[in-house]
Amino acid sequence: MFTNALNYKKFPPAIVLLTCIVTAVPAHSSGADADPLKELSKPRSVVNIGAGQLFNDNARFGQYTGLRNEGPYGIFNVDIAKRNDDTGTWFKLLGRNLGFQNRDVRFEHSKQGKWGYVIDYSQTPRYEPFTVNTAVSGIGTTDPHVPTTRTTGNPAQLSTERQSIGFSFNQFLPGNLELHLHFRNEEKDGERIFGRGNRLGEPRLSGFDGRPSPRAVGGYEFIPEPINSTIRIFGASLDYAGKDLQLSGGYYGTMYNNKNALLTPTGGSTVGGIFSPSQYAPIALAPDNESHQGFLSGGYSFAPTTRGTFKVAYTRATQTDSFSPGLLTAPGIGANLGGRIDTVLAQTGLTARPLQKLSINTNFRFEDRDDKTPVRFYNPMATLHDLNGNSWNGLNNPRSFRTITSKFEANYALPHNFRLIGGIDYEHRDRTGTATNTGHRFRTDELFYRAELRRSLSDTITGTISYIHSDRFGSSFLTNTTGSGAPFFNLIAPSNLADRSRDKVRFMANWDPIDSLSIQVAIDESIDDYGQRPGSGLGLRKGSARNYSLDATYIFSERLQATAWFSRNETHVDQASRNPITDGGIREIWGTNLHNIGTSVGMEVTAKPTDKLETGANFMFSDYTDKFNQKVTLEPQVNIVPNLSTQYSSLRLFARYDIRKNLGVRLDYILDHFKTNEWTWTGWRYTDGTTLTQNNNQMVNFAFLSVLYSWQ
Amino acid sequence: MLTIIKIRQIAVPGLLAFILAFIIAVLPQPVSSAELDDDDDDPPQDLILRGDGKCTACHDENSDNPILAIGKTKHGTTADHRTPTCTSCHGEGGSHEDSPDKALMPQRTFGKKSVNSIEDRNSACLACHQGGKRMHWSGSTHANRDVACTSCHTIHTEQDKVRNRNTQPEVCFNCHKEMRQLINRPYRHPIREGKVICSDCHNPHGSAGPSKMVRDSINDTCYTCHMEKRGPFVYNHPPVQENCAICHNPHGTTAPNLLRTRSPFLCQQCHEPNTHQGSSGTLTGAYARNTLARGCANCHTQVHGSNMPENIRNESVFQR
Repeated sequence: MFTNALNYKKFPPAIVLLTCIVTAVPAHSSGADADPLKELSKPRSVVNIGAGQLFNDNARFGQYTGLRNEGPYGIFNVDIAKRNDDTGTWFKLLGRNLGFQNRDVRFEHSKQGKWGYVIDYSQTPRYEPFTVNTAVSGIGTTDPHVPTTRTTGNPAQLSTERQSIGFSFNQFLPGNLELHLHFRNEEKDGERIFGRGNRLGEPRLSGFDGRPSPRAVGGYEFIPEPINSTIRIFGASLDYAGKDLQLSGGYYGTMYNNKNALLTPTGGSTVGGIFSPSQYAPIALAPDNESHQGFLSGGYSFAPTTRGTFKVAYTRATQTDSFSPGLLTAPGIGANLGGRIDTVLAQTGLTARPLQKLSINTNFRFEDRDDKTPVRFYNPMATLHDLNGNSWNGLNNPRSFRTITSKFEANYALPHNFRLIGGIDYEHRDRTGTATNTGHRFRTDELFYRAELRRSLSDTITGTISYIHSDRFGSSFLTNTTGSGAPFFNLIAPSNLADRSRDKVRFMANWDPIDSLSIQVAIDESIDDYGQRPGSGLGLRKGSARNYSLDATYIFSERLQATAWFSRNETHVDQASRNPITDGGIREIWGTNLHNIGTSVGMEVTAKPTDKLETGANFMFSDYTDKFNQKVTLEPQVNIVPNLSTQYSSLRLFARYDIRKNLGVRLDYILDHFKTNEWTWTGWRYTDGTTLTQNNNQMVNFAFLSVLYSWQ
Repeated sequence: MLTIIKIRQIAVPGLLAFILAFIIAVLPQPVSSAELDDDDDDPPQDLILRGDGKCTACHDENSDNPILAIGKTKHGTTADHRTPTCTSCHGEGGSHEDSPDKALMPQRTFGKKSVNSIEDRNSACLACHQGGKRMHWSGSTHANRDVACTSCHTIHTEQDKVRNRNTQPEVCFNCHKEMRQLINRPYRHPIREGKVICSDCHNPHGSAGPSKMVRDSINDTCYTCHMEKRGPFVYNHPPVQENCAICHNPHGTTAPNLLRTRSPFLCQQCHEPNTHQGSSGTLTGAYARNTLARGCANCHTQVHGSNMPENIRNESVFQR
């Protein structure tokens, strides 16, 4: 039944019927118009239809297209554009991937310069690339049932799908005004990987009482999350477009509605008593929320070389989704969170050329996100000491942020078409909040200095080289304390709050040594140095990123050209943490050098051997490697995490032959290869017995033949 | 049942092929590709735009710079009184028109060998396209980096590559090389399928948000598709509220869920090594729970925030 439904989705008869009707229109309207100018200058419509064969089952190639199961698939694309030259009225229908599950349809009807409307539809599947083998039942519902003991299950495929319908309208009005309306409704359905768990003592340990303990294995259960929600985005704006002044003011609204408020799994392990996984129910799912914004933005040209822009906006976001009845709530917390965040945005910029050779650019932005959610005593239980002797305040934790950014840049023209650019940026952030599980500071500031030499105009070489230095610093870190007020751990400066010094160099050059050859080189490198909490040495310490690319395009002739490229990306992070207490009673400090290295090459050739034949080939290969170099500082012990390596390659070939001027045949072939040694789910088995697996070597062949018919 | 499925799989493409053949048979044959009338004795006549005769007299589809396809675009819709002429963008071309062998170029050109400043080239476009989504072009990163409108847009063709969802990323990758590699990583948005493209998140013409985001902030842009993460929740995870990009790289990663780094390493960039939080990465033993499967989120499942109001245990650790 499932397979049947999928096939139906691949080729909805309604779309076939619609397109047949639309494509039949020119048969009666185009007539025998033999004007050659029309052929060269009037909109052209194309329909592309055919069939293909996918030769291999796969999980990655079809993750977002639905091309997962071996078998035939329909090829169906339409691009219809008609224009009434007398009135300037356009009729457009664009249908893309209509034979697949990731189809798009866009219909536009407009009278250019007068009015117009667009209706569009988009469907986006996402198949989980890992196959779930589970005995958990009720997948996709809010009340899945979990086996109480490890149970062998059956394969299940998790997936989600988004379907959106949009409508927009514009109307030109007298006085250089234009009205815009837009609305989008997106439904998302399906299920995704989720779970619950807790670290527990092991029965084999003496004195076991089920309490969480640092070295415990724990209990972990697979609880797929049901997805059934709606996103709506809508708005209206009135735009003014004068010669010097442009304005746009209006309203922007969003709404999120989740049809699943709570996840209430049944069953599950009871090992561990009150700490067992089964006690983690119900589970809250994402609450409904909405936002409403009023805005005004604009620009004014004071002079041909002087222009100012601005935007002011006020947004109110609320979350007042009702708490589900029957929950064990503390008295006085009310029926919902009463969540409310008011955000004020003010931004302005100015560009000017005070001297013939000097241009300046300034920008100021203020954003105040004020979380006005009432603070209530949600959880008196949290004030009791936990197993580690810590306790918490039991309050909800609204957070407000205020961000001020300002920029200044000067650009000076030098001889030989060089320009020298210097800039200073400043970013200031204020945050409310407290230090609990992580460190906290109320304020951070970051200063950026930038110098750049650029050449934009030249027959042969253009390019830029720039150096950027930035320093981030801030107010003192708050002292983390336990529930009794004693100093807690104060060892980590969170990544977004830590002091940081960054140096970055960029180089990019375009070189055209001869008319037929173009070469592009891009290199950038940045080095980060993080500050730690006093005396700690833990957390982020160093970081670096390096990218370099080489591209070359050679035009052999009007009928043959080729492009080749190479890119390499390397990132490195050096960080440290501290192990829990070991058997020897030592808290080991350990560090890791995380390396991520990506290397890619690509080549594309397009050729037109004859007037009627066009061919092309596109090849791309990427190799991605993650290295986890862990080192223990005090003891020679070290855990080893194997390197992760993934290769992805893709070969695409096509040949198109024009039988007639308006009729062509196209043959496409795709070879897609995904190979990995990923261990994320290897060796992991949930307490209920669920495992996730994937084919680590996925080779896919997809060939399709289609015809293209065009008309005007 | 299997037979029915197979029949349907074969029959549907077959039916479509039949329909196509029918359409092809019914539709009229295309017009012949007769040469345009190029009688030199006739004065140049306008072919598409007002006053284009002096240009189209030479620039037909056989010239090095064919221009007639502009007639297929909105710039060629003459019923719209706002439609430009050739000289609206290229300037008056008297010297070019009169010069021997056309050695002198028009007043303003847009190709690789143009001698016009980028600012001057862009002014031709901004004369009409200054408002709306291009309101913040002036002062934007692209404007300040000498990006010409024609670096991305092609004007004289029916299909502007950067406005096509299938091909837009190729245009952006001409400069943003790093992204070309990121989008093919194992954990990614459906960019190469054309379902999420650069301009869904970024406004290349500038915006009031950081990184040219289409909305006023990074988070507000993410919420256009991931609104369930907005909250606010009873228990908020502070970095989630501040900036999604603290933990995620939306362009593609080798860690699940577009995380910048895997668990536990990512979490340890902020979290104190209280007890189990400080364990090193391992695939075996008790602490494998911090590295394998969903890592720290094996227990702390509600990492984006929890709206659970129950008074049972310390729910602020995002376990339900």
